[in-house]
Order: sequence, then C-alpha cells, then structure tokens
Amino acid sequence: MGYSTFLFCDPVSAERAGWFFEILQEAASTVSGESKVNTTVFLTGDALFSLVDSRSRSSWNRIGDLPSVRIIADGDELRLQGLLHSVSSQARFVHITGGGEHGPFWECVVSTLKTHRPGMKRAAFLLCNSPYMSRVPVYMLRFFSRVQEAGLAAEMYTYLDGVHTLHNGQRPSEFENIGRGVSALANSGALSGRDTWFAACSRCATARGYYQMNPGTGFCEPSSCIQEIAIRPLKEILARFFQDHPIVSHFSGECVLEERAKDAPHLVVFITSPPYCSEWTFGGLSLAVAAAMDGMRTTVVFIEDGVFALHGTHDVPENDKIFNIQEMIAVTTDVECLRYAVHSPSLDERGIAVSDDFSPVRMVTNADLAGILFGKESGEDAPVVRMIFF
Amino acid sequence: MENNTKDFTELTCTNLMIKLKILLNRLSNGDSIHFLATREQVDNTCTPFSGQGYRVSWEQTGQNQFLVQIGR
Repeated sequence: MGYSTFLFCDPVSAERAGWFFEILQEAASTVSGESKVNTTVFLTGDALFSLVDSRSRSSWNRIGDLPSVRIIADGDELRLQGLLHSVSSQARFVHITGGGEHGPFWECVVSTLKTHRPGMKRAAFLLCNSPYMSRVPVYMLRFFSRVQEAGLAAEMYTYLDGVHTLHNGQRPSEFENIGRGVSALANSGALSGRDTWFAACSRCATARGYYQMNPGTGFCEPSSCIQEIAIRPLKEILARFFQDHPIVSHFSGECVLEERAKDAPHLVVFITSPPYCSEWTFGGLSLAVAAAMDGMRTTVVFIEDGVFALHGTHDVPENDKIFNIQEMIAVTTDVECLRYAVHSPSLDERGIAVSDDFSPVRMVTNADLAGILFGKESGEDAPVVRMIFF
Repeated sequence: MENNTKDFTELTCTNLMIKLKILLNRLSNGDSIHFLATREQVDNTCTPFSGQGYRVSWEQTGQNQFLVQIGR
C-alpha cells in the first residue's frame, strides 16, 4: 500500500481539479487490493475557493466520493475567507480543521506526513513565493512551527522569489514579519538541539541583489541579508532532495511507497505556466535539470499552460537576454536521469500540438500520469515520488 | 579582451552547461566561443567538454575570473 499527500495553497483551476480527479480515480481503480494508494489532500489559502467555485466544485465532489481519498481544509483560512458555512454545508465530504474532530490544520499536515515515515527526523519547505506579496511564507512559518513541536528539524529551501525572505530589516506594518519569524525558528531549533537548515539559491539571490561580487576577492558575498539563511548553490540544496524526508511547497505532493526502495526519491516537476513572462518555467526546468544531472531520477511534465513551451518554434531576439526554453529542452534530452512528458489533455483543451522538433517527448494521458505519480511505472524503485508545481 | 566576450560568471554550473551546449551546437568546425567564467565553472563545467571532442583552454584574467575558449 502507498500513501500520497498533497498540499495545495494556490488557486485550483477547473482544469486542474478535473485532471486531478481523473488521476486519483485512476489510482483508486487500477491499483486495487494490496497496492492501493490512500490519499490525503490538504487545502489552504486560495485553493479553498475551488471548493465553492461552480467551475471546479463538481470535480471536488467526485474526488470526495472516492473512498481512498480524504480532503482536509484549513478551518482558520475558511473563516478568514468567509467560506466556512458554504463549505461545511455544501461539501460535507471535506474535513475542516479546528473543530472538535481535528486539530489545527498544520498540525494535521505534519502528523500525516510523519505517520507515513517511521523515524522521520526532518521536514522541509521549498519556498518560491515572496513575503507580503504572497501568504505562502506565512503558511511556511506555521508549518515549521508544527514541525518543531513534533520534535523534527526544519529545513527551508528558498528559490525564485522565495529568496526575498533573506532581506534584513523587514518591517511590515500590517502583516506578520516573515524575516523575524524565520529568525525565531532558527533560534528555537538551536535551543532544542535540532538545528535548522535554511538556504537560499545563490542564482536567485544574485539576480535579486542579495549576493554581490566583492571586486577585491572576486567572490560573491551576502548583502542586506538575515544571518539565519545561508546562500548556497542550487546543487547543495538539491543534495538534500536525495534524502526521503517530506518537502512541501505552495503546490506540491508526494507518494510514499510502503515497500521502501533503495533508490533516491523520484522528482516530478510540473511546468504549468507559459514559458517566458514569469520565471516559473525557467525556474522549474533549471531545478529539474540540475537534479537530474546530479543523478536524481527526474520527470518534467508540461501541463496546463506549460504545454505552450513545446508549441511552435521559439526565436529569441538577438538583443534579448533570456534562455530559449525550447533550446534548453532540446540540449538536455540526453541527460540520463531526465525524462520529459507532455500532458495530451492539456494540448487538446488548447487546440494546439507539440512542435515536430519535440516529437520524442512522451505524450501522457491522465492514466499515464497516475502511473508516474503513484510509482506504478516499470523500473520505478524510488521510496518516494515528489511532485512540485511551477 | 574582446568587447563581445560574454560574461557567464553568474550562471549556475547547470545553466552554463546548457548555455554552452546550445552555443556549441551552432558552431562550425574550426570555430570557437570565448567567455568569462569562474574557477568553479572552469573546473566543473568547461573542462568536461574536452572529453567530448572540443578544444578547451583558459587564462586567468582576475582574482576569480577566467577567459575560456572552447573550439570545435
């Protein structure tokens, strides 16, 4: 038997709710008896609106009907968003935290992750969102607070805009101070003898001005940074991914396979955004390629608007300093541990096709995707399949 | 140093590898590319190209800066 756990903090579109239902249904129907996968889906933040939104509600209703799936919603956030009454009355299959039956939401998240891993010593959060513009860093602090209460060590990997957490002197007038929260976690970790491991990706930190070249030494040094987060190469951060502790994020999942295998975890990176107008696609690909080059089995799935990366022929103007995403994919198809896949229902929904240059990229249906995510593909020998959405 | 020498010192080793593979794919026989790199990039990313049939050479131009040339 396997256990899958998902944490959704960002909006869940009707499209995403639809294919998510289909892969869960596939996991429940094709994997029967001993090899069944039990799933827990945690919803907080903007993801909660999808429970009442008529465009996605029906998919959640169908997910709620699956006997192997449990949906847990953050009661505090439901109250904040004015959704508590409508969700509790219309979506009776949803377990709401903070009432008599369940403890606080983040305590449930940590205890669920811990239940599936006897002897678990640490838990991590990959933070890709910046403080104040996003509420995800607040969720991260709450998660870590429960991680520490559970006697575990907290690990934070800041990436993309998540590295803004580094900035010293944060002084929000209306919001929870994220910099101060991170410092407090580091202090409490040290006092309890479970040191935190907080890191920021050096490429992302350099781009945002937190890691500046000292002309005298020729090496970069932290600039305007809080001390509790160390700036490290992505390679060092990804080295932590070889261990099988949980790593959650703004939109993430994992499948822990009960038969503990010896391989490193399998990383599945979902590319969900169009290729160029944000850093999500480049950031996701960059992380995936780096992980694969270090020997981690990695699958990149282009899905939803991420399929536009494989459509047409991209031609970067001479004076534009940006990676050509298609060239990036083309020159990395020979990386041994890296596999590319494209979600055919996403292509169909948009009425587009993959460029002929990418015909070797594997087309996957929802059934195929279920096989990848729930460790049912031939050759899978990973103890954990990790899923991160970019 | 030529004015059109690209500065790749701030790329991660992975992204430099990708960049070099893209540039080298476009290169004709006898041509070469040159760029600035750090010590770590030279050791981890540039040098391995010599095992793939490319000519790789470099000269130190700063405390942690090297002018690298890779030719086909």
